[in-house]
Amino acid sequence: MRSRFYRNPVGVSKFTGLILILPFIIGAVLFIIYPFIYSFIVGLKDTNGGLSLDNYRNILTDSSSRRTLFVTLKYTAVLVPLKLIVSLLAALLLNCELKGIGIFRTAFYIPSILGSNIAVIIMWQYLFTSDGLVNQLLKAVGISPVGWYGDPNYALFIIVLLRLWEFGSTMVIFLAGLRNIPKELYDAAKVDGCGRIRAFFSITLPQLKNIIFINLILQTIAAMQEFNAPYLITGGGPLGSTRTVGMHIYDEMFRFGDEGTANAISWLLFAVIGIIIILLYRFTEKLRRD
Amino acid sequence: MKKNILKTAALCCIISLSACSDKKDYSVTMPDGTLDKCSLRFSWWGGDDRHEATLKAIDLWNQKNPDITIIPEYGGWDGWAEKMNSQVSSGTEPDIMQINYDWLISMSPDGDGFYDLDKLSSQIDLSQFDNEVLSFGRVGEKLNAVAVSVSGRSLFYNSEVFSRMGADYPETWSDLIALGNKFGESGLYPLDLDIQSGGTAWYLAVVYIQQQTGRQFITPNGELGFTVEDIKAALSFYKKLEDSHVIRTVRTRTDEDGNAALYQSSEFIGGRVAGVLEWGSAVGKYESVLPDGILEAGPLLTDEKGCSDGWMIKPSLLYAVSKRTKHPDEAAAFINFMLNDEKCADILGTTRGIPASRSAESALEKSGSLKGLAKECNDILERSETVTISPYMELSRMKEFYNTAIESVSYGTADVDSAAKQMFSSVNNYLEKIRK
Repeated sequence: MRSRFYRNPVGVSKFTGLILILPFIIGAVLFIIYPFIYSFIVGLKDTNGGLSLDNYRNILTDSSSRRTLFVTLKYTAVLVPLKLIVSLLAALLLNCELKGIGIFRTAFYIPSILGSNIAVIIMWQYLFTSDGLVNQLLKAVGISPVGWYGDPNYALFIIVLLRLWEFGSTMVIFLAGLRNIPKELYDAAKVDGCGRIRAFFSITLPQLKNIIFINLILQTIAAMQEFNAPYLITGGGPLGSTRTVGMHIYDEMFRFGDEGTANAISWLLFAVIGIIIILLYRFTEKLRRD
Repeated sequence: MKKNILKTAALCCIISLSACSDKKDYSVTMPDGTLDKCSLRFSWWGGDDRHEATLKAIDLWNQKNPDITIIPEYGGWDGWAEKMNSQVSSGTEPDIMQINYDWLISMSPDGDGFYDLDKLSSQIDLSQFDNEVLSFGRVGEKLNAVAVSVSGRSLFYNSEVFSRMGADYPETWSDLIALGNKFGESGLYPLDLDIQSGGTAWYLAVVYIQQQTGRQFITPNGELGFTVEDIKAALSFYKKLEDSHVIRTVRTRTDEDGNAALYQSSEFIGGRVAGVLEWGSAVGKYESVLPDGILEAGPLLTDEKGCSDGWMIKPSLLYAVSKRTKHPDEAAAFINFMLNDEKCADILGTTRGIPASRSAESALEKSGSLKGLAKECNDILERSETVTISPYMELSRMKEFYNTAIESVSYGTADVDSAAKQMFSSVNNYLEKIRK
């Protein structure tokens, strides 16, 4: 009996799969693996061109590097929980079956497409400078205006607000998760006399726990790598209160031309993100399994 | 069939990999003295006035030399040095570049970072320049760049605001302080200093101390000329300017303008901030946002005895050719056109300052274009005992030290004493490191 196989113009052999994914492999080697290894080697190069741990030692003893890490951690700790809550609430709102809900879903996603481009930055300046719209609104309701840009305690908040406004991608993932929850669970809960709030905590949240974890990980990584928004909106100031590790890497590499330090900081950031992800994974393991 | 497909796939892989391989071909193309058909990339930074004039000059070049196409790459100053740094370090820089004075140190510390223009003297008429001007672009024995103009920072004021206030332009440092108190009563500021990429805050403080002590902040060979006491006095002077309402505090400025440059700020355009310290070669961007003739050049500030020493000049811009260019003759010919061609000089006017080239300057004189703020600034500086700024002073890392000190003094997070000590040791250590 002849064995069956599917004919196609290319023909099938044990190498076909490999050939088909070859473009990706080449791309990954050239643009991910090679720069990854090369960056580690550059990070080890000292001022004399030799290999040493000098760059790492200098970074760990440098107070401005430690400060940028502190700013980044603070930014991540404030932004990520807020963003998860806001995007989950928006997803819940947009999950209802209303006429024209697609328009609202699109509208909520638009800020994420805009990113932190120049138009958005200019808009942010109009909003938060001393006579900007936000301060005018505060004045109108009798609250004294806030020095958003100039006060080191508030400046980071402007960046957090920008990223919070761009909750679209997180929301879309939540929305997909919400639509996968079987409707029968809510029907059964309703029959048992369960209210909406109880249903949210007893059905929605447990059903979404893996989605929440994915969003938590993705948003933590993105926040730890933040560069665009502080670079364009505050330039890292005032007093370095919005200078993230991403900006620090950029400054060392492109402003000061110190590629050894820049690459070493990149690797340290990679390690810190890795540790945070492992910790998050460990701490949420039981929750995700139950 | 299958074998052929596999062979083709393998070939494609090899081609794509070899195309991306790092060839590291740093061999310099030698000039052959002829102009061949080619395209050249030319990059510069500046304001709109400079962009428009340069694009017109390129059009003229393209008409005269249809075989050599110039591809323009331009933008504002903010972020430009970073962009050029990454292009030069990755070997993708344009053939012809407008460069800043300190880039000679950061990009070509041994003179091998740019093409040696002495080898292209058949295409560039270097006789149009004084030896002193040419020396600005020399690193060791190699002519890495040619200065377009020599310029200094000078004070420019909004004449309408000053006449409304019934105030004269300040002539001495104490006039300036007194003016701050007067303007302060109306909520105005006679001047603005920044800690952004311009870094004018530290610059003016340095001028004040240089005038008082006769010591240069950083010597041409990269030694720190100021003592801790000098730096302390400079920071105190800056604080006094803020306290006397001459300039906005860093906090007020940041609150009002965000991260925007002064010439884009409503405070400057609206006249609440009535003065600026700017290079004569770059003042056009401030002039263009105000009605015609409103911005005027003021005198350089002096001490009570009228001594105006301590103000600084430098080659405001230089043209350099990439060491990797495949068309050195053509690039040099274009630089010659930009520097020495009379029609081109007419088009460019004073958008890059008063030309250092004698032929370009006389062309402007003939056509009556040698006027405006850039010319006034030049004349004012020429009447003073100026010092040539050290290229080390303008390095980005150094600016970071100045700005950190100014910011901490302005916000009060450090007293003048500790900020001065911190800055002294940071600057000293860094200079020692890069001089090695």
